[in-house]
Amino acid sequence: MTAFRSHLEFLRKTDDCCWLERPDSPSPQVIASEALRADGPVLRCTTNDARVDLVAGVYGGVDGLSRGNRFPWSRLGIGLGVDQEPEYVDVLEAITDLGDRLDEHDVTYVERAATATDPSVRELGFPTPPDGTWPRLTLGLLSVGTDDGSYWTPIHGTVLDDNTIRARVPDAITDRFARGDVVSVALGVPAEALTATYLLTVTDRLSTPIEERRVGSTVPVIPTGGGLVPSSSEVVLEAEIADQQPETRSEKREFWERIVDGTTLTLDVTSVFTRDDAVVPFTPLDVPLADDLQLVALTLAAQLYDRANSYWGIAPVEWLLLPASGRLGVCVVSTEMLYAGFEWQLSNFLFSFSNCYDTVVVVDDEASPRDLGQVLADIWVKAHPSRDWLFSESDAPVARLPTYSRDGTGARLYVDATWDPRWDEEYIAPRVSLTESYPPNLRAAIRGSWSEFGFDTDPEEL
Amino acid sequence: MSVDSFRTFLDVLERGDAITRITDDVSWDLEASAITMLANETDDRIPVFESVRNQRSDTNARLVGDPYRGPQQCPWKWFGHAFDLPVDSGPAYYEGMIDRLHEPLEPRMVSAAAAPCKEVVRTGDDASLLEFPWPYIHQGDGGRYATLATLVAPDPNSEWGSWSRHRTMIHDSSQASVLLLAGEQVPNRYYFEYERDDEPMPVALTIGAGPAVESTAEMWIPVGRSEVSFAGGLRGSPVELVECETNDLAVPATAEIVIEGRVMPNERLDEGPFGDYFGYMNGPRRSMPVLEVDAITHRREPYVPFCVEGSGVGYGENSSSTLAIAAGGPDATLGLRIAGFDVELAAPWPFTSRTVWVIAVDRAYPGALHELANFIFTTWGMLHIDFFVFVDSDVNPLSPRAVIEAIALHADPATDFHQFGVERMPKVPLNIYQTPDEKGSATVGTSRTKTSKAYIDACADGDRPAQGIGDRDARERARELLVEAGVPETAFEPAHTTGAER
Repeated sequence: MTAFRSHLEFLRKTDDCCWLERPDSPSPQVIASEALRADGPVLRCTTNDARVDLVAGVYGGVDGLSRGNRFPWSRLGIGLGVDQEPEYVDVLEAITDLGDRLDEHDVTYVERAATATDPSVRELGFPTPPDGTWPRLTLGLLSVGTDDGSYWTPIHGTVLDDNTIRARVPDAITDRFARGDVVSVALGVPAEALTATYLLTVTDRLSTPIEERRVGSTVPVIPTGGGLVPSSSEVVLEAEIADQQPETRSEKREFWERIVDGTTLTLDVTSVFTRDDAVVPFTPLDVPLADDLQLVALTLAAQLYDRANSYWGIAPVEWLLLPASGRLGVCVVSTEMLYAGFEWQLSNFLFSFSNCYDTVVVVDDEASPRDLGQVLADIWVKAHPSRDWLFSESDAPVARLPTYSRDGTGARLYVDATWDPRWDEEYIAPRVSLTESYPPNLRAAIRGSWSEFGFDTDPEEL
Repeated sequence: MSVDSFRTFLDVLERGDAITRITDDVSWDLEASAITMLANETDDRIPVFESVRNQRSDTNARLVGDPYRGPQQCPWKWFGHAFDLPVDSGPAYYEGMIDRLHEPLEPRMVSAAAAPCKEVVRTGDDASLLEFPWPYIHQGDGGRYATLATLVAPDPNSEWGSWSRHRTMIHDSSQASVLLLAGEQVPNRYYFEYERDDEPMPVALTIGAGPAVESTAEMWIPVGRSEVSFAGGLRGSPVELVECETNDLAVPATAEIVIEGRVMPNERLDEGPFGDYFGYMNGPRRSMPVLEVDAITHRREPYVPFCVEGSGVGYGENSSSTLAIAAGGPDATLGLRIAGFDVELAAPWPFTSRTVWVIAVDRAYPGALHELANFIFTTWGMLHIDFFVFVDSDVNPLSPRAVIEAIALHADPATDFHQFGVERMPKVPLNIYQTPDEKGSATVGTSRTKTSKAYIDACADGDRPAQGIGDRDARERARELLVEAGVPETAFEPAHTTGAER
């Protein structure tokens, strides 16, 4: 388990974090949005007062559309403890594992790092977006304690006054509490904890307490007024569920609300606990590559990858990606082509298990998720314009995330950018690449003389 | 001052610390190309090979690997510097190029004595292609290739001839095979006029003619106009031409090498396989028209620029992909506007620059996109382009993220994907999705079987999601703060780029 502040330290060591003193203007939300647009590093806004430090991009950013040593899953993978340079599939499997059911409770209790403080919620200094009136907290973890255990979900909201939060939570959790009950909100939690809340929410698995999930045995926790929260949480709020549920149709949504229904709560905060020099994550909403969007992309991809490889008795899928740049309107899957027609079977399987997208792109198993550029070439180069762009009849259920308006039904499309398994070997065109176009001794000699030739880059990265 | 030759272009690169001069002996046999491909993929300096092993004579030619390649984040950068155009934004560079193309300048003839390309003149049996270290580029290629060559050919509608780019496979001292694909102007003239009349077509293959000439060779210039006058417009000064030794054609006086000859009627030599711009080896070996050499003139210690084809797909850039974005895009944008289409910008898809184009356009009337696709597919997009993606006029086609978002969110599989001329359209045999049988060996260079093309309507019709938050001042201040914190300024899409205000 990696505490949130340790996660940030690892990101700093990988040279993927920039620091700036929090300005009065513009809003950190604007700065974070611009950093995401620029495919920039993690942004940390520091303060010298009672306000918390703010960090954006810990889970988001990185579109993978240019060559680099950072990938859309790198930052989360580091937080999940996969590796300093995590492989994509390892990250997917680590995410999936967090949601596994356990037969026995195996919870580790550790003393709470955040201690009681005087400041009100407002004094914590959450950033106010330029189009908003109130400060906004995002990327929070709601903990609801019950006799069966604690339930974790995502939570975000606005700070209305010193101690009132208008919050959005998944509908599915509202059966677990009643008005007047106490719940807890944790901010700056370990990546495992936040990822698990997104995973369990977007895969509709909130009916089991976290003590019976792998995440409950992975993340040390501590009881609070509301339920268990990660012990290392940077900020913990205890709050009562208020009586009234105000109308908030105009409020912005976190991306998980595009997948499952959410509801609005009013929380009266009764206690605020913070760590020394507390630092919490935040994200601008509805902008490209936002943290909430990337968390949903990775957790949904993990679920689909796991399902596709648990269905046919073997594991044909190499990887599966929902590019955040496409705001989850397209699914890319790399697979072994088991037999002629498997691409049809796999594509329709993926349509069956998610209603986010209506387009699936199938690529060969030698394609790398680290080389999305090659995928974005093969879609057009390997796929025949008429034979390999395949549309269903227009009577399929409409996908959830694309924005065009349709009434109930529409078509689905899959692009088969793989070699046809019926083709003779002689039909398969070799790729032009360093590996396939030049003999190994020549490649080794060139790499050995690379800097002497006057080049600066590291050829081993390829 | 715009550059006027290949050598002054190298000076631009040198000033930008963008080349490395390698003095170690390097072989033309895969080694120079492998080094170039690795430099292309790592976005490193452009290699100039000062000492090429195993040259047959005392020509002392030098190879230059993909000299026109631009940085992956800003492919037009060196062309912008060469032509004194803005480089911090793709759309601004495009508009600068378009302004120059609006003002072509007629070339100026100079004497042979004033032409650097005549420093060495060899004719008849003294002229040998094997004098030069043509690179063997990929394992599996059919032979050694001239890949960055501008072919000057006669044009009855233009005083200065027609200029275009064709890969050429070297066979021996006096013969090469030239990839001529029917559908393009020069090949059409060869197949349907010269060859039918059993006449050889006089040509001049120029190597190292500089960025202005190479750019216009990439463009689709209307019949009756001359590429070289547009090259003058790009430079802002007339291109200097000199007469050939053995035919009536005029060639750039500063070219590194000029190969004069004739494309013979009804004669064919093997051509290919070759790892071309798709990023795959395309085959099978075909028969292509024969270039018979009559004379070769060149500068002393000439540079032989070459392109490692196939390395410009995916993230990588090479000369071909950069020429497509930096020259082909502005030309297409201008051409469509002149044809009456309300096009904001047309640009090739950076991950496979010839197969897919993205066009930002206002849909002026019902059916406008179909009409636009039809126009291009039947003219300059006939051979190489398979797909168009139409996006709103405030989407930057040079931003892959914006285009992917547009396709993912706004292209409805039920109504917005339009297959065009299903299995009825001509196709170059360079693709990899047709089988070798389907490609066949048609006499005019196109595939034996027809194919189809498609366009995608990814316009949002007013429903495009926000690309950022805050007003313009707040965003600009945010960028300044991020730059102060260490984020490179080049990471930001310029404020005046289309769509940045959303």
